[in-house]
Amino acid sequence: MSFSLIFADELKGFYKSKVMIFLWIGLPALAILIHLTTETYEGLPISYITALIVSNLGGLISAIMLTVNIIHEKDRRVYDLFLIRPIKRWHLLVSKFLSVYIIVSIACFIAVSLGIMIDVFESQLLLDVFMDQVVDLVIITLSTIAISSAFGVLIGVISPSIVAGVIIGIFVGQYVIMIPSIPGIFGIDTSAYLVGLIGIIVTVIMLVLAILLFNRKQF
Amino acid sequence: MEKTIRCPNCKKITTVFGNPGETKKVTCLDCGNSGKIIFEDSHGSISKDTLISVKNISKKYKDILAVNNVSFNIKKGEIFGYIGPNGAGKTTTIKIMVGLLKQTSGELSINGYQMPEEKEMAHRFIGYMPQQIGFQQWRTANHALTTFGKLSGVKSNNLKGRIDEILNLLNLIQYKNKKISKLSGGTIQKLGIAQALLHNPSLLILDEPLNGLDPDSRYQVKKILKELSNNGTTVFFSSHILSDVQDVATKICIIDWGRMIKTGTLDEMKSEFFKENQIEIILSKKSDKYDEVSKISGVKKIIEKSSEKFLVNIEKKADSDEIINEIIKTLLNNKCRIRSITPVSPTLDEIYQYYLRKGGINQ
Repeated sequence: MSFSLIFADELKGFYKSKVMIFLWIGLPALAILIHLTTETYEGLPISYITALIVSNLGGLISAIMLTVNIIHEKDRRVYDLFLIRPIKRWHLLVSKFLSVYIIVSIACFIAVSLGIMIDVFESQLLLDVFMDQVVDLVIITLSTIAISSAFGVLIGVISPSIVAGVIIGIFVGQYVIMIPSIPGIFGIDTSAYLVGLIGIIVTVIMLVLAILLFNRKQF
Repeated sequence: MEKTIRCPNCKKITTVFGNPGETKKVTCLDCGNSGKIIFEDSHGSISKDTLISVKNISKKYKDILAVNNVSFNIKKGEIFGYIGPNGAGKTTTIKIMVGLLKQTSGELSINGYQMPEEKEMAHRFIGYMPQQIGFQQWRTANHALTTFGKLSGVKSNNLKGRIDEILNLLNLIQYKNKKISKLSGGTIQKLGIAQALLHNPSLLILDEPLNGLDPDSRYQVKKILKELSNNGTTVFFSSHILSDVQDVATKICIIDWGRMIKTGTLDEMKSEFFKENQIEIILSKKSDKYDEVSKISGVKKIIEKSSEKFLVNIEKKADSDEIINEIIKTLLNNKCRIRSITPVSPTLDEIYQYYLRKGGINQ
C-alpha cells in the first residue's frame, strides 16, 4: 500500500512542479523549432535528429530534476517524517524514479510524435515508411531517459550538496548515457533492442546501488 | 520469569521462560527466525509499565562523542522532559530512539521492541516530531496529513474525521487547504505536532515542540500534552525553554556534552539542590527588630536584601511550618508589620544552572 501511495504522491508532486511547463510545452516547441530551422542531414528524417536531441535533453532534465529533488529533500529533512513510519526506504527512491521517468518519457514522446507528424505531412509519405525508425527512436529515447533518471537518483543519494550534484549530473551524466552505445564504438553491430537491453541493465544496477546506499544512510 | 515476544519476521507471539540476568537464544517455530532475549535482573530491571528503556547508549561521530553512556527508563503515561544546552546531544538521543540513527553502543527498547532492529514494529505506535520539520512544499496541509495518516495505518474511513479533529485541536483548521509553502514557521511547527498525533500513538517523541510558537500556542500545546498524558500516552520531549518543561514534565533529565547529568522529578531535584530551606519576609515598614528572628530554633542565617525585605535560611530537617509560625509570632511581638511571608522554592532554571555547573566541574 505504501508504495502505491508514495508513487501517486510523487507523480503528483513532479507533475505540479514548474519544470513541467518546460517539459510539456518547451520540448514540443523545440521539436517544431528544429523542423523549421534544420536541413535534412544525409537523408535522415528531421524527426530522427529531433528525437536524438529531445532524448538527450530529456535525459539531462530528468537526471538534474531527481538529483536536485533528492538532495533538497535530504537537506530539508523531508525523509525523517517518512522513515519514522512503517515503510520501506526503497519505496521512496523507486517511486521518485518511476514518476520522473514516466513524466519525462511522455513529454519526449509528445515532442518526437510531433516531429514525426510534421515529417509525414511535409514528405507526404505514409507513416509505415517511418515505422521501423519510430520504434528504434522510442527504444533509444526510453533507454536514455531511464539511465539518466537512475543516475540522477544515485547522485542525489551520494552528493552532499545541490551544486556538487548538478555539476556531477551534467558532466558525468553525459558519459553515463552513452554506456549503451559502447558496443557500437568498438564496431559491434548494435540494434536498438540491444541498446535498450543494456539500458535496462545499467538502470537496474544504478538503482540497486542507490537503494543500498540509501538503506545504509543515517538521517 | 516469563517474557512474551513477537517475531519481527512472521509476527508470531511466543512466551519464553528464563532466569533473571539470563540471555537466551530464541528461534521462531513458524519461520525459523532467531534472536536473543535478555531477562533483566532485579537490579535496575525494566518494570512491566516501562515503555522506554535506554541502557548505556553512546553515539560517536568520528572523534566526537555526541551521546555518552546515557541510560533512563520511562514509564507509561509519563511526560519526560529532556533538557540541555545547544549541542548537548538531545536530538542525537531522540534520533536513536526513533531509529533514524544507530547507536554506537548500548541497548534501547521501546515497548519491548529492540531499536533499531525492530523499528518497523515500534514505528506503529510512535508519533515523532523532528526539530526541523520538512514537509514537501507542494502539498497542502490536508494532503500532507492524509499521506502521513495512511502511511501510519489510519483507516481511510476514519482519516478525514481524524484530520479535522487534530486540526481543530491545534487551531489549524483554517489552514487545511493551504499550501505548505504559504504557511508561517509557527503554523508549520504546529502541523508537525499534528502529523505526530494523527495515528493516536501511545508514545509521542517531540524534539523542541514549543520552539517558535507564540505564547497562546505554547499554552495550547502544553495543555494537549497534559491531556494526552492523563489518557495514558507517554510523552518524551526535548526543550531548552525551562519554564515549559517545568509546566508539563513529570520527570526531567538534564544532559550536557552528551552525558546525562541528572534524572528525576522536579521535587527530587529541588530537595537535592537545596541544603537548607529559605523563607522570604517582606515588612510593610522598616524595622530593626527583625533580627530577633535569628534567635528562633532552626533558623540558621538571616540575609538582608533591603530595608524591608530579608531571607531566612532554615535547617533542612527543621519543620518549616512550625518555624514560619514562630517567625510571625516573633515579628508581631516586636511590633513589626508583615506584608508577606513566602517559602522560597528554586526554579527549574536555578536547578538547571546548578547541575550544569556541577556537571562541568565533574567532567
